[in-house]
Amino acid sequence: MDGVSREIIEIVELEPIVGEDFIVIEGFPDVGLVGTIATSYLAEKLEMVEVGYVESDELPPIVSVRNGKILDLIRIYRKGNLMAFISEIPIPLTLIKPLSQKIIEWAISKKARMIVSLTGMPEPARLNIDIPKVYVLGSTKRVLEEALKVEGVEKFTDGYIAGIKGMIVKESFRRNFDALLVLSQAHFNYPDPGSAAQVLIYLSKLFSITLDVSPLLESAEELKLRLRDLMRRTAQAMQDVQKSRELELPAVYL
Amino acid sequence: MSSRRSLWKYILDEFRRIEQELRSMEEEFYIKLKGVEVMRGCITPLYNVYESGDELIITADMPGTSKEEIDITVGEDYVKIEAPCRSPVRKIGEGKYILHIRLPVEIDQENVKARYKEGVLEIIARKKMKGVKIKVE
Repeated sequence: MDGVSREIIEIVELEPIVGEDFIVIEGFPDVGLVGTIATSYLAEKLEMVEVGYVESDELPPIVSVRNGKILDLIRIYRKGNLMAFISEIPIPLTLIKPLSQKIIEWAISKKARMIVSLTGMPEPARLNIDIPKVYVLGSTKRVLEEALKVEGVEKFTDGYIAGIKGMIVKESFRRNFDALLVLSQAHFNYPDPGSAAQVLIYLSKLFSITLDVSPLLESAEELKLRLRDLMRRTAQAMQDVQKSRELELPAVYL
Repeated sequence: MSSRRSLWKYILDEFRRIEQELRSMEEEFYIKLKGVEVMRGCITPLYNVYESGDELIITADMPGTSKEEIDITVGEDYVKIEAPCRSPVRKIGEGKYILHIRLPVEIDQENVKARYKEGVLEIIARKKMKGVKIKVE
């Protein structure tokens, strides 16, 4: 297959990242932009610092400018043993598999403890739900056991996971590497800060992080407006990976 | 072997070309959408239209307004929604939501209800059912 090989994706460290026991969180845009909102909020509130970025010719030729500073589209932030991948664009279809493999290889090379993918679980009746439920899927038994220790969280048992989140958990499963997928009931193609807040509450309990999500909920309407264009583009990209499959049950039992 | 490879390359090139065309069409759509929004000072909300049994459900993501200010006009085959949008986001500022949706089926205008919750407007309309009942033999 003449696809994109992971060799043409580079994870560039601004300075060598050293440490141990890293928890690598990714919040690439998809359902309800839950991962994007949660990861960005976490990075801001914990005052994480940019430590690297992802480089690839397959990324669109765009730079992001914030307060006069030129930024890459997919950046890595760090505070202590927490690292976060934040993207300003939905991951292009051609990059999904090679990028997921590259991130896992990089995390293993950094002796990371685990990768945590944050996402929304499409819920057509989201409007009737005040507090979205949080589900977890682990690539290994040990990470799942750890994840289920938090009260109130449920195990994701049946369904499809499309896109880069699914690829990360599948590739980690094959390599016996710890990856945890955290899903919260969310609007499919509307930004959902309420759902992101539940993911953050869960993470704060799992990793004993002190985090107040009330400012996130207070600025929910502003966030929804700000993220409208990213959501529109992400909705388009979700079609490419058959994200609507997540509303279906698997077709076979075995 | 080499003819199989060239066929494979041809198919891949075709896929890339189609993908590129789709991307161009998508980009054209975004340019037009944003152009209209900037020119008219209006905001096209994200929206969905679903059919569920004898109901038609329309939802629209419209943060920054209030239920008292949302103006909904319902026709047999269209819904028009207008509302002010007060945004602290600099680029959006004070704007107006305008959404005009052509419906996939006719609806009973007398049987429509709406609610607004956490920035999302939901309209549920009863479909206009035409036809006669048939007995199963």
